[in-house]
Amino acid sequence: MIFAGRGQWGAFGTGGFVLLVLLVFLVIPVGKVIYVAFQQPDTGAFTLVNFLDFFNTSLFRESFYNSLYVAAMSVVVASLIAIPLAYFTTRFRFGAAALLQTLGVIPLIMPPFVGAVAMQMIFGANGSINLLLDEYFGFTIPFMEGLNGVILVQAIHYFPFILINLSASLANIDRSVEESAQNLGSYGFRLFRRIVFPLAMPGYVAGAALVFLKVFDDLGTPLLLNVNNMLAPQAYLRISSIGITDPMGYVISVILVAFSLFSLWLSYFVTRGRDYASLEKGGGGLGKRDLGTWGRLGAWLVILIILLIVLTPHIGLLLLSFGTIWSFSVLPDAYTLAHYREVFSTAMPYITNTLIYAGLAALFDVILATAIAYLVWRTGIPGRQILDYLGTAAVAVPGVVLGIGYLRVFHDFQVPFVDKPLASWWVIIVVALMIRRLPYALRACTAALQQVSIALEEAALNLGAGRFRTVHRIVVPLMAGGIMAGFVTSFATAAVELSATIMLVSAESDAPVAYGIYVYMQTAAGRGPGAALGVLAVLLVGIATYLSHRFVERSREVEEADRRLAVAQGA
Amino acid sequence: MSVRAMRWVALAALGLAQAWSPSLSAQEIGDKLVVVTSFPKDLTNVFKEAFEKKYPGMTVEMLKKKTTAGVKYIQETASNNTSDIFWASAPDAFEVLKGDGLLAKYEVKATGIPDKVGVFPINDPDGYYKGFAASGYGFMWNTRYLKAKKLPEPAEWEDLAKPVYFGHVGMSAPSRSGTTHLTVETVLQGLGWEDGWALWKRIGGNLKTVTERSFGVPSGVNSGDFGIGIVIDFFGFSSKASGYPVEFRYPSTTTLVPANIAIVANAPHPEAAAAFIEFVLSPEGQRLLLDPKIRRLPVRPEIYAEAPDLPNPFEGDIGASVAFDVKKSKARYNLVNSLFDVMITYRLDDLQAATKALQDAEAALAAKPNEEAAKLVARGWELVAALPIDEAKSLDPEFAGVFKKKRKKATDKVTGRQAEVEQEWDDFVRANYAEAKALAEQALAMVR
Amino acid sequence: MNEHSQPAISATGATAPGRAGPKAERLVIEGLRLAFGANEVLKGVDLVIEPGEFFAFLGPSGSGKSTLLRAIAGFGPKPSGRILIGEEEITDEPPWKRNVGMVFQSYALWPHMTVWKNVAFGLEERGMRRSEIAPRVRRALELVGLAEFADRRPSQLSGGQQQRVALARTLVVEPRVLLLDEPLSNLDANLRVQVRRELKQLQRQLGITTIFVTHDQEEANTTSDRMAVLNDGLIQQVGAPVELYDRPANLFVATFLGSANLIEGEVLADGGRRLFSGRGGFRFPVAAAEPEGRAHALFRPQIVHLGGNPAGGDSNEFFTFSGRVVRAEFLGMLVRYGVEVAGIELLVDEPHEPDRPVLPEGAEVTGRILTRQIRILRG
Repeated sequence: MIFAGRGQWGAFGTGGFVLLVLLVFLVIPVGKVIYVAFQQPDTGAFTLVNFLDFFNTSLFRESFYNSLYVAAMSVVVASLIAIPLAYFTTRFRFGAAALLQTLGVIPLIMPPFVGAVAMQMIFGANGSINLLLDEYFGFTIPFMEGLNGVILVQAIHYFPFILINLSASLANIDRSVEESAQNLGSYGFRLFRRIVFPLAMPGYVAGAALVFLKVFDDLGTPLLLNVNNMLAPQAYLRISSIGITDPMGYVISVILVAFSLFSLWLSYFVTRGRDYASLEKGGGGLGKRDLGTWGRLGAWLVILIILLIVLTPHIGLLLLSFGTIWSFSVLPDAYTLAHYREVFSTAMPYITNTLIYAGLAALFDVILATAIAYLVWRTGIPGRQILDYLGTAAVAVPGVVLGIGYLRVFHDFQVPFVDKPLASWWVIIVVALMIRRLPYALRACTAALQQVSIALEEAALNLGAGRFRTVHRIVVPLMAGGIMAGFVTSFATAAVELSATIMLVSAESDAPVAYGIYVYMQTAAGRGPGAALGVLAVLLVGIATYLSHRFVERSREVEEADRRLAVAQGA
Repeated sequence: MSVRAMRWVALAALGLAQAWSPSLSAQEIGDKLVVVTSFPKDLTNVFKEAFEKKYPGMTVEMLKKKTTAGVKYIQETASNNTSDIFWASAPDAFEVLKGDGLLAKYEVKATGIPDKVGVFPINDPDGYYKGFAASGYGFMWNTRYLKAKKLPEPAEWEDLAKPVYFGHVGMSAPSRSGTTHLTVETVLQGLGWEDGWALWKRIGGNLKTVTERSFGVPSGVNSGDFGIGIVIDFFGFSSKASGYPVEFRYPSTTTLVPANIAIVANAPHPEAAAAFIEFVLSPEGQRLLLDPKIRRLPVRPEIYAEAPDLPNPFEGDIGASVAFDVKKSKARYNLVNSLFDVMITYRLDDLQAATKALQDAEAALAAKPNEEAAKLVARGWELVAALPIDEAKSLDPEFAGVFKKKRKKATDKVTGRQAEVEQEWDDFVRANYAEAKALAEQALAMVR
Repeated sequence: MNEHSQPAISATGATAPGRAGPKAERLVIEGLRLAFGANEVLKGVDLVIEPGEFFAFLGPSGSGKSTLLRAIAGFGPKPSGRILIGEEEITDEPPWKRNVGMVFQSYALWPHMTVWKNVAFGLEERGMRRSEIAPRVRRALELVGLAEFADRRPSQLSGGQQQRVALARTLVVEPRVLLLDEPLSNLDANLRVQVRRELKQLQRQLGITTIFVTHDQEEANTTSDRMAVLNDGLIQQVGAPVELYDRPANLFVATFLGSANLIEGEVLADGGRRLFSGRGGFRFPVAAAEPEGRAHALFRPQIVHLGGNPAGGDSNEFFTFSGRVVRAEFLGMLVRYGVEVAGIELLVDEPHEPDRPVLPEGAEVTGRILTRQIRILRG
């Protein structure tokens, strides 16, 4: 409604283009896959009987319940990890806050299936911890048995979503809100529970919803832990089984997508109108306090324990990558550099491919996300919300479904000049990663755009800059921090994506690192090289994330310094 | 500042993309070969390097998919095929592709390969796929694990059904792993439909886990997650060769089946594909199978002279006693998969509970015999072993058709939907397991 | 940097006050209506702003004054009606083609650009050569006295300096009309007076047609040549500040522009004359032209005089009353009394002088009002 009616052609054109991209690369492929769910198995006629079968099958009901349970418990465990980390780093002056925040994000950049392998070595029934427990205390703890294992791995992998969103919400709370509560006699945990946490709620719910959704849809982890009675593995097993094209796999896909969309909507519904944090701007976040000696020790202890748990997959992976034989023992028998030598001599193309694919995907993501955010929030073109919905809905599409959809839709499309079907051209991997990670970028870019005052754009329009020039010279530069954050999130998570890419890799020379790790892990000769490749991938993405974190922090500090200087001058 | 960095990243990404474009490599016939394979890189890399060395300028693309996904991939991409060769273990997978008309016939020029390994014909009688290595099925175990848990080494399938192994065995499901399917089918053919399934359910009751891929089994044994795994031989050999504390053994009911290779229909590089098959079957290629990380049984008998530690299937070292009927296997391929999943994979918890209860009751009975209780336990085992369908029905093409979606003709009739059938089976199996468990508890109470 | 030590806007070569500059344009608004969804914010606005005029839109928040200003700049929902600058209709032009300069309430300086870059932006967008841009930007910055701040970022400037940058950024493109959206609202009280003088001086100097939106009548009174009072999406009255103050067209304008006593009553015929008769015993003759019927009598507090007996003159010329002081507010230059007269409270402003004591609450007083200064308003 901002500039309705005037000079909208560029907006229509851009919107049309974005819509086309989303239709061609999201709606049509997914539609083509899930359409099978509505077909009569023997005649191909339209029917809902398959859904009836789904609800009549006790195995599927059980799977549905298990998925629900695992997703909910993962949110609970992830919250137990994320809330203290977020609270301590945003609330108290901590030397290593940036480091902690980065370490907290590290789990996201490890493919969950890799994490599951490493966790199995440490927490498994005959993993290091249980072997020790058994030897010294005569009992074991079933950390990784059945659904427990899935919950543990998922919580450790996905808690950063809660950490990131909650930290952002906490950082946005005006200091005066907290001070006024203190002034009225509230303090300590009561203060946190009654004032701080409710204000941070929208961020928490957004993060929790994302965790719920990702866990609900996730395939790799249950598969690796050999847990079959959940929805996503059921769908995958049925879709990828030899010879059969049982419609139930597709029915489950539809149900996964529908339920994910429902939980997205629910989280939106719950937080609607409650985004208080952004109302009170300019207070510079909660006041950071210094801790006393004991408080400091206690806080560090809590954080160290959490970090130790959180970094278990990484520790396990490191041990695997340096170990020779690690079999039914607390630690590997001996250590070697051979795995790294092997990886450096044969696996570097995976790394190069990953940098290119994830980089390009993240680049297109922020371009698309910026366009969508701008169209939705700054133009009046009809139907603009559809772009937002579609872009966000991509988060609810399981990677396998997207991968199969691409194979079905694009295999007959011959790319001109390249002379290959689009489905087996490496670009399709970039496209899949782009669509899969678009929701992350969209979220970051939307938040960034909302923080840019409309007046800044109007001033440019008023001075004769057309809409495109305004976006180019004013909006994008001012969104840079958020765009960068979106780029990093998309890049880091795309770099370790497997579920869609594994369906689309059509030549090993085109394969990204997650696929490489998967292949290297698939050998009876040991997982050392795979683990070494995993360590390299984690390091690579970790360093990139840390640098951009520092970069964003720094530019924020500069701006803050500018403002303080100005205030001092004006006095 | 931030803007500049953004631009830098963007430029760098674009620059890299231009500098490195995998699709720009030349594509003339003869310098490229695309192989879809389920084999691990330890095997494929060796052949790739040797082949590329033999034909300079040749680039071999090894596309790794597990067997089921590989079949799926070739089916999905058939309309615009880009793969030259399908290379995997399970003959069944080749049968499926052959049935869909997705394989090309090929006449092997190399000579000196026998017609049969054990009782199994090495090559497809119809000429579509060729055996290049033999594999037998058996079990591997982790010696440290068995020692720590004080378990005996198993020798026969029946051993795995013993109570002592409760919770110590791992295997994959036939629906996820072509090799496991062969194992299951081999036992079914060797012991018969009823007894075969009864054994599988006894073993199923002892399972710690059903892994998602066949590779999950050696991996679990190697790491010590479980002690004993039902695997294809080379997993055992190569794990041992890599230094893991594991052993492998063939039980007497096993079959040696060839691992296969075939040219995909409408292959883009048919000449290169043919050359690759000839290379794999040549003495030179066969010798590569002896690599410590591969350890598969060559199909050229003369090679065994160079590897005295490998069992020689052509001299009867392995008791390949079962005449494997490929036609039978193919006819009920999906049905067996589905039946195994319904009875064992997805009901593992129920099956374990019933098995545990029956084993406990048996143990108590051994100490304090009680005829009536023994009857209850026997009845319980019967219930566990009970099957929802008999062998005749399993081979009924009309019934098996429920498990296929693609109908050849519109007139092909199908009764019922897979989901319906599976739900019926599930109800049957669950009720039986629950009743068996109740009987066992009843028996145990009588003995106490 | 001390705000007050800065040089005022240099006034060299100022044209005569109120004179149109060489490029000044007339702005015409005809039948302008505009709605946000179902909510009609402008309900038919007609207005002519003369070339070179310094014109104010005055009104309470929600009156539509900012919406009207933004509609002139091309922002907001598409309106119906017409907007013309000179002879050219701009109603359907996009904002970037209007060449209407706007200074935003928040200044809207781009934080990622230096002062120089901010000011140069509009010229760059017009495709001007770099060599031409530099002298113009320098001149604009000199005009607002910020030449030495060119390399600073907006965040390094004080509020007043930021506003000057915003002004320079707008003026440098030589817009046909200058729009100022509450330009003084973000400044300290003592700075406001200074800046509004400078603004007025600058406007005189440039002769540019200028519209100024404010909710502060003092700002409007002191700066504008003419002003429009808006309420509820309609223009209530247009005219010079003094005219509106002294002769408000309706109750809204009367009460919005400063304090006023309003007495409910009616105009009656009394033989050939007309009388106003209202609550509190207010009864006095009015002009014979006043129609009969319900009306309000309006008089400002400062025309009520307290003390003594009515000093001469006949009772037709003065209305006299007696009452009791219920409130006394000392405002420095005057004392504002609340005087209860027959059940209604009158506001009375008495100039304060050092030897004149403030009357205590409860004091009995008499007072008089020159009746020809009382204005009769309908409705």
